Amino acid sequence: MSHQLIVEGCLARDRFTLELDLKVDLREALGIMGATGAGKTTLLRVIAGLEPKFFGRVEFCGDVWHDCDRSNRVPTHQRGLGVVFQDGRLLPGRTVESNLAFALQRAPSGDASISYEALLQALDLYHLLTEPAETLSGGERQRAALARALLARPRLLLMDEPLAANDASHRQQLVAHLSGWLRAENIPLIYVSHAANELAQLTQQLVVLEEGAVVAQGPTGALLNAPSPLMKRAAQSMTAVVTAIDPECGTTTLQLVDDHLAVGELALGERVFLQQEAADASDLGASLQPEPEENQD
Amino acid sequence: MPGDLQAVWLTALLAATTTLLLVPIASPLAWWLARSASPARSLIEAVVAMPLVLPPTVLGFYLLIMLNPDSVVGGLWVNLTGDSLTFSFSGLVIASIIYSLPFMVQPLQAAFRAVPESVLEAAATLGASPRDRWLNVVLPMAKRGYLTGCVLTFAHTVGEFGVVLMMGGNIPGETRVLSIAIYEHVETLNYDAAHMLALGLLCFSFLSLWLVYRYAGHRFEVVRG
Repeated sequence: MSHQLIVEGCLARDRFTLELDLKVDLREALGIMGATGAGKTTLLRVIAGLEPKFFGRVEFCGDVWHDCDRSNRVPTHQRGLGVVFQDGRLLPGRTVESNLAFALQRAPSGDASISYEALLQALDLYHLLTEPAETLSGGERQRAALARALLARPRLLLMDEPLAANDASHRQQLVAHLSGWLRAENIPLIYVSHAANELAQLTQQLVVLEEGAVVAQGPTGALLNAPSPLMKRAAQSMTAVVTAIDPECGTTTLQLVDDHLAVGELALGERVFLQQEAADASDLGASLQPEPEENQD
Repeated sequence: MPGDLQAVWLTALLAATTTLLLVPIASPLAWWLARSASPARSLIEAVVAMPLVLPPTVLGFYLLIMLNPDSVVGGLWVNLTGDSLTFSFSGLVIASIIYSLPFMVQPLQAAFRAVPESVLEAAATLGASPRDRWLNVVLPMAKRGYLTGCVLTFAHTVGEFGVVLMMGGNIPGETRVLSIAIYEHVETLNYDAAHMLALGLLCFSFLSLWLVYRYAGHRFEVVRG
């Protein structure tokens, strides 16, 4: 069975144009990477049918979802999607349980290989079932949205930084669960993220976007390790732990936890000295954010 | 006194009929006003809000001209039902619908505007059709707007005077509503009877508004611009 996704065409916004000619086989999960404002979220919205002004064509598994030439458009609710938005987007005024029920009631019938209980357990949602959506923390909202998208038993799963608001240790577990479920259910996945390690674990192929255009496409592993300035720009986020503080020199030593740093050609095992330029230090300082605490949500 | 009871009953019937009919009429209109970016929107908003500023006698005068049996609309109604739209209960219902339109549309418009597009998008991605989204996402989120709109419409129709006088006159059991009955009692110097009805209306108006502020307070806003 074909799992081909075709997105070709353009979408013009005030200060931004998305221009795409993308053909991918989604038997392998697709990662999307790119700097903020590169068009990652917009691309997902085009695939989901949330951008009616997209001028072009979207096709999935041989079904034409959007074709401006024939003014043919399959509405979002008929595309069989599961979407996890960055902010979770739970339905307000409803509890977590009611949000999950909303998805279950509209899901195609048939046996799911992921049980409801297993999902709640793994996503640590049991104690939140009766909580109103508005009272959840960012991480809790994302986990509930993840459960909701999976319970909809989608033909295609679109995820936009779905774990970003969870802390690092949670994220690792969630990625492991997610990759297990996707294998079990055999759901094609498109995963937008800044986190190289999540992309490496969940996706086999990668598309890098810059200013609304695809600038690189290929196997995830190869692209992530490619020594290009492009990847450095795309891979913005890295997790680090403070390992030493030297009050005399006024410096703090950081140990990178789970991200790679893509640099120029080096020999395997070579020791290198990384020096940060003074001009960059202030920039870096401004973008440094403390890791969310364990008990944050 | 039985005449006054009849007036109370007629007023309640008129207000309830108007409110029930306005819910399906105002809902799509308010939805369109809340979501549309059309340049015609401000025009329609102004037309809907007209009864707020127009003297009821002006509205009543034009309705009298538009709905009398010699007019196109009034003539058609006579042919269809055999009844006249002027000086009749049906005519009062039509007049009340127009007169109370902003009191239903504006709270609904404010409630619909408060439903974020992002929530509707999320519901769509979960397989909810437009009708499903309306019934199961928009309606629950807008229920306070509906409460406000219904209470205000009901109360405003109960207090209607000028339009009724112009369009309906003072026919017991047909167009003699509470405000007309009070007016008549005062004209005939029957102050005790006028007092009873007036006090009743005063209490009713206070209770309705208190209900709105108590249960829908922070959601009630008159839409401007």
